[in-house]
Amino acid sequence: MSEISDQTGRTIPTGPTSSTTKSATQLNDELLSSLRTPTWKWYGLALFLGAVVAWGLAAFSYQMYTDMSVTGLDRPVMWGVYIVNFVFWIGLSHSGTMVSAILRLCQANWRRPILRAAETMTVFTVAVGGLFPLIHLGRNWVFFYLIPYPNQRGLWPNFRSALLWDATAIFTYIIGSSLFLYLGMLPDLAVARDRASGWRLKLYTVLAMGWRGTAREWVVFQKASTLMAALIIPVAVSVHSIVAWDFAVTVIPGWHSTIFPPYFVIGAIHSGVAAVITLMIIIRKAFHLEEYLTPLHFDNMGKLQLVIALLWSYAYFVEVQTTWYAHEPIEWEVYGFMAHKYTFILLLMLVGNAILPIICLCFKRLRRSIPVMLVITLLINVGMFIERFLIIVPSLSHKNMPFVWGTYRPTWVEISVTAGAFAGFALMYTLFAKTFPMVATTDVREYETQKRLVPVGRTRLPSLAGKE
Amino acid sequence: MELLGIFRDVESAAGAVERLVREGFTEAQITSLTSSPYPDGVLVKTDQRSWFRWFTLACGFAGAGAGFLLAAGTAWLYPVRTGDKPIIAFYPTGIVTYELTMLFFLVGTIVGMFLEMRLPPRGKRLYAPEISEGCIGIGITIHAGGEAVACGEGLKPGECVGGIAVLPADEQKRRAEEIMKEAGALRMVTEATL
Repeated sequence: MSEISDQTGRTIPTGPTSSTTKSATQLNDELLSSLRTPTWKWYGLALFLGAVVAWGLAAFSYQMYTDMSVTGLDRPVMWGVYIVNFVFWIGLSHSGTMVSAILRLCQANWRRPILRAAETMTVFTVAVGGLFPLIHLGRNWVFFYLIPYPNQRGLWPNFRSALLWDATAIFTYIIGSSLFLYLGMLPDLAVARDRASGWRLKLYTVLAMGWRGTAREWVVFQKASTLMAALIIPVAVSVHSIVAWDFAVTVIPGWHSTIFPPYFVIGAIHSGVAAVITLMIIIRKAFHLEEYLTPLHFDNMGKLQLVIALLWSYAYFVEVQTTWYAHEPIEWEVYGFMAHKYTFILLLMLVGNAILPIICLCFKRLRRSIPVMLVITLLINVGMFIERFLIIVPSLSHKNMPFVWGTYRPTWVEISVTAGAFAGFALMYTLFAKTFPMVATTDVREYETQKRLVPVGRTRLPSLAGKE
Repeated sequence: MELLGIFRDVESAAGAVERLVREGFTEAQITSLTSSPYPDGVLVKTDQRSWFRWFTLACGFAGAGAGFLLAAGTAWLYPVRTGDKPIIAFYPTGIVTYELTMLFFLVGTIVGMFLEMRLPPRGKRLYAPEISEGCIGIGITIHAGGEAVACGEGLKPGECVGGIAVLPADEQKRRAEEIMKEAGALRMVTEATL
């Protein structure tokens, strides 16, 4: 048990008196371990990621300086890897906040150590995803034409364009998920403030807004957390539905389908939950949080992933089966082209997204195995990236007019920008993890405070005190 | 005038609150400062009502109006004639209105929450960093001294003043300090630092 000094210099142990639980100071030390001085390994990682980002930026600058001909985009495929990235990253962003919000509303106690990793992932993935429509614009430097404000150009954005719906939805989502992340961090920032010095003290003091943890502050905070969780879920669903409408409201074969919005939402949750698990594994290892991110957390997240894999498989089956049964020539042509031209990646997608997770995640032993979960979740996201590619490229390659059929191959510029985006996400996450508490400290401590081992029969079982 | 006692654990802090109430201080005068939440009544009893959700609702309505005006109003002001498409289209107007409504709801929740918490504060207040390390702070607002107003029907919790209010403020403070020390306070904080 740790100690503090009182006015007289006496050393006093702090925190819960139960010998079965750790003191608050011990918990703070362990949960805020990510804020310790960076090691050389950390600097090396940040430098490497920074270099990849710089390479991606250089490729993008080259594209701006030259023109869009340096990409693989050409008639009839005018949406390529940039839009694949856009859909993929927005999909990834979907689950972080949503999983966190649903688990908060359900008051699932196992949620506590994973909240921050999930919410942070949302903010950074939506930030990266939101860049891709701008990268894809062509004349990127006039991106501000999208913003509706009175101007001397005499131009006003056309809200009938799906691009504007995306811009509005992503703007709402990035603000909403950032506020949700900040709200959850507020009491942790106060804890970090009380232990900090130098620039960190100034930063946390400003961000903690004078939080003291009075009973009244906690009452209002908890009500606000519940309300935010309830409000952010429909926003998350709407964002990916709107991304799906980018496709579904067109008359392109393969896209014009009513199932697209729910199918996109399910796919987004599929990749998002997988990404949360991947990040949990990395954070667990990097910050030695084995005691807090236990096999139980992976087991529960694995069950969630299994349900979503089944849902995704069902939605995919319905989509293909309807097209197969109707056998409309142009629709079937798109599927035929996709199966013939992209056989390997199509099979990889089906294995990664459906077959492997459904088989493996049925077994508790595999769900609780960290290496297995890492492989499965990484493969799911490889599968989801392929799925986005196979939605976009084959449909555009074989549209209604056979004399403009064509194909698409991304160039080094597009691949570099994509690599830069992945590195950019990882870099932002790495910097955030060193600057802000990566585990919801007060949430975990609340649970530890309320938890007691109670003797029942011949053993002692954990019991939880709390309001109804 | 305020006073803050720092306690090592919940039990001694709760004991101090009970003694303070028995002495004549009201629940509304006493608050707890903790780094993790405790269910109501473990330390102090707090008014569970809050008004910020009405503020959120008002913001949502404002957002709906703003979204409708942005999509439909500006389409009407700056008409873009495209084939036989309507100038004010139902579908895009619905999407933009919905998104701005939700945005205003979310922003309204955070702003309303801070307004109700009165954060950030205007001046410095009593605080001790040990609270972040698991200690419990029990804060008490000392009445200026005068007539006691019994709690009852028609009075808000903050409006009633316990029997101890008949004593001068300094005497109330001395008694509160004494009670908290007897209950096991590690130290008393009287200087505002946060």
